[in-house]
Amino acid sequence: MFHRNPFFRHFAIVAVLLAVSLCASPPKAKAQTTKQSVDIFMGLDLNFKDIHFETQYDFLIRLTPGFKWNMGNHWQLSGQVMFPILNQYGYEYSFFQVNALNISKEFNIKSLYLKATAGAFSHNRYGLDLKAFLPLCEWFAFEGQAGYVGSVYVSPYWEIVAPNRFVGRLGGDIYLSRWNTQLRGVVGKYLYRDIGFEGEALRHFNHTTVSVYGRWSNKFGLDAGFRVVIMLPPYHRKQRVVNFRPASNWRMSYSMMVREYSHQMYRTDPEENERDGWFSRDLLLWGSHTMEPDFIIKEKTKKNETP
Amino acid sequence: MKHLNINIIAALMLLWLLPQTGKAQQYTGISGLVHVPSGEMNHEGDAFIGAHFLNKAMTPDTGFIYYGDGEKYHTFDYFVSLTPFSWLELSYVCTERIYRKDAQGHVINWSKDRYASVKIRPLKEGKYHPAITIGGNDVLTAGYLPGHSEVQLYFCNFYAAATKHFTFGGNELGLTLCYRYYLRGYNAKWNGIVGGITFRPAFFPQARLIAEYTGNEFITGLDMLLWQHLRLQASLKDFKHFYGGICLQFNLLGKKYKY
Repeated sequence: MFHRNPFFRHFAIVAVLLAVSLCASPPKAKAQTTKQSVDIFMGLDLNFKDIHFETQYDFLIRLTPGFKWNMGNHWQLSGQVMFPILNQYGYEYSFFQVNALNISKEFNIKSLYLKATAGAFSHNRYGLDLKAFLPLCEWFAFEGQAGYVGSVYVSPYWEIVAPNRFVGRLGGDIYLSRWNTQLRGVVGKYLYRDIGFEGEALRHFNHTTVSVYGRWSNKFGLDAGFRVVIMLPPYHRKQRVVNFRPASNWRMSYSMMVREYSHQMYRTDPEENERDGWFSRDLLLWGSHTMEPDFIIKEKTKKNETP
Repeated sequence: MKHLNINIIAALMLLWLLPQTGKAQQYTGISGLVHVPSGEMNHEGDAFIGAHFLNKAMTPDTGFIYYGDGEKYHTFDYFVSLTPFSWLELSYVCTERIYRKDAQGHVINWSKDRYASVKIRPLKEGKYHPAITIGGNDVLTAGYLPGHSEVQLYFCNFYAAATKHFTFGGNELGLTLCYRYYLRGYNAKWNGIVGGITFRPAFFPQARLIAEYTGNEFITGLDMLLWQHLRLQASLKDFKHFYGGICLQFNLLGKKYKY
C-alpha cells in the first residue's frame, strides 16, 4: 500500500541511505562519552524589522524552551518549541511553533565527519538531513549539507506536506588560528528554492563571535549584514544526569536589505550557531573548537567517589 | 560612624574612577574627536553600543528638515561598533529621521538613515611619526552615487587622518590633522583640511579635553570612560549648540587597558 505513495517512497529511499550511513560508522571512531544526560534549557528569540513609517521597529519576541537528551556515543534526541510573548509581526506568528524534535547521530569515517538527523527542524520543516565536514589541514576544510524536507505546522491547526524539496550547501572554510578568524564561502540551494552564494568573515572572541557577510541569490538579489553569537553564562557548570540551564547562546543575524526569505536554511539543533558549528567539540577539534572552551564542565561526583 | 561610611563610599567611587581611561568617541561609534576623524584606534576587541544626540546645527542641511515647512530638527543616532583587529574598526549607524508630524506636533512618520563606517590603520604611531588612518562613512552605498541622485548618502564621506601624541609630566597632548571629502555638495562646508587638539590630564587620565575645527565651525568637548564600560561625550559647537552621547563599551577579549 505504502510503496505507491510518493511521499513514503521518497522518505523510505532517504531513510535507507541514512541508515546505511549510520551503520557504516566505526563503533569506536573516537573516544566518545557514553554517559547519558538530559539538558533542559530556555532562551529568548528576538526578531525585529524596520519596514513601517508609523513605528520605529516591529518586534517578535519568543521564549524557546527545549531539551537535549545526550544518549551517549553522540546520539542525541532534542526538542524545542517557541512561544510568542510579544508579536508585532502578524497573525501567523501568534502561535507556538515546534522548532526541533529530532534524533541525530554524529560520527566520523577517518577525517570525514558526518551528522545525520531525522525529524522536525526549525522553519516548520521536517525530514532528513546530512551534514559533512572534511578538514584537509588545520586551516582549511570543506563543508556540505544535504536535506530532503517537507513542511509541518502544528498550531493553530495541524498541516503536513510530504517531503518534496531537496536543499543543500557546499563550501569551504579557512581558519586563521593566530587571529581566531574564520573565512567561509558556500554555494547552495535554499528553503525558498533560491540558489545563491554567501561569503562570511567571522572573528571569534572570548565567548562572543561577530561576523560580517555578503550574499547573493537568484531570487532575492544582493544582501549584506552582520551576525553576533554570544555564549551565555554561567561558564562553569556542573554536569548532572538532569541539568537545568539557560540556552547556551544568544544569536542575532542582521540583514541590511531585510531579505527575510533569502538564503534561509532550517536548523536541526535547537542551539545551532556559527561559533560552535555543527559538530561536538569532543568529536571535531577544528576551527573555533581549538580555542579555550566556553563552558568548563565539572562532573558531579558522589561523595564516596574519587573524581 | 556616618561620616566614616560616607568617606568610604567616596573613596570607593574614586577608586572606581581612577584606573579607567577615556579614549574616543564619535557619533558613528568609530574612534575620533567629536566631528573630526583621528589617527587613533580603539583597542582590539572593543565593542560599543550607544546613542548620540545630533544638534540640528550639526546635521546635513538636506534630509533632516520637517516635511512642509522646511525647518531643521534635532535628532539622534544609535550605533554598534567593533574593533575586530587593532588595525580595523567597523560600525553600523542608524540616524533617526522625521517624515511628518500631525497638527498637534506629534511625530507620526519615522524613518532611518542607515550606514556602515570603516576605519583602517595602515601605519601605527611610532616614536617619531604619527599614526595614519583611512576610512569613511556610508561606504557600502557610496558606489551607487553615479546616476543615482535618490540615494541619500547624508553622512557619506572619506578621509585620511594622522595623529601624534606627546607626553609631558604624565599629561598627554594629541595633535590630529585630517583631509576629508563629503560626496554630497550640501556637506561641502566640512570638506578639506580639518583637525584638532586633545589633552588628557595626568591627574584625571580617564577624561579627555577636545578642541577641533571641522572646516566650518569650532567644537570644544569632553569625553570620559567611567567604570570601564560607560563612555560619555559632551561638546559644544561654537560654545552654543550642545552635541553629545553615551555608550556602553566592552572588550570582547576580556582585556583591561589603562589607556
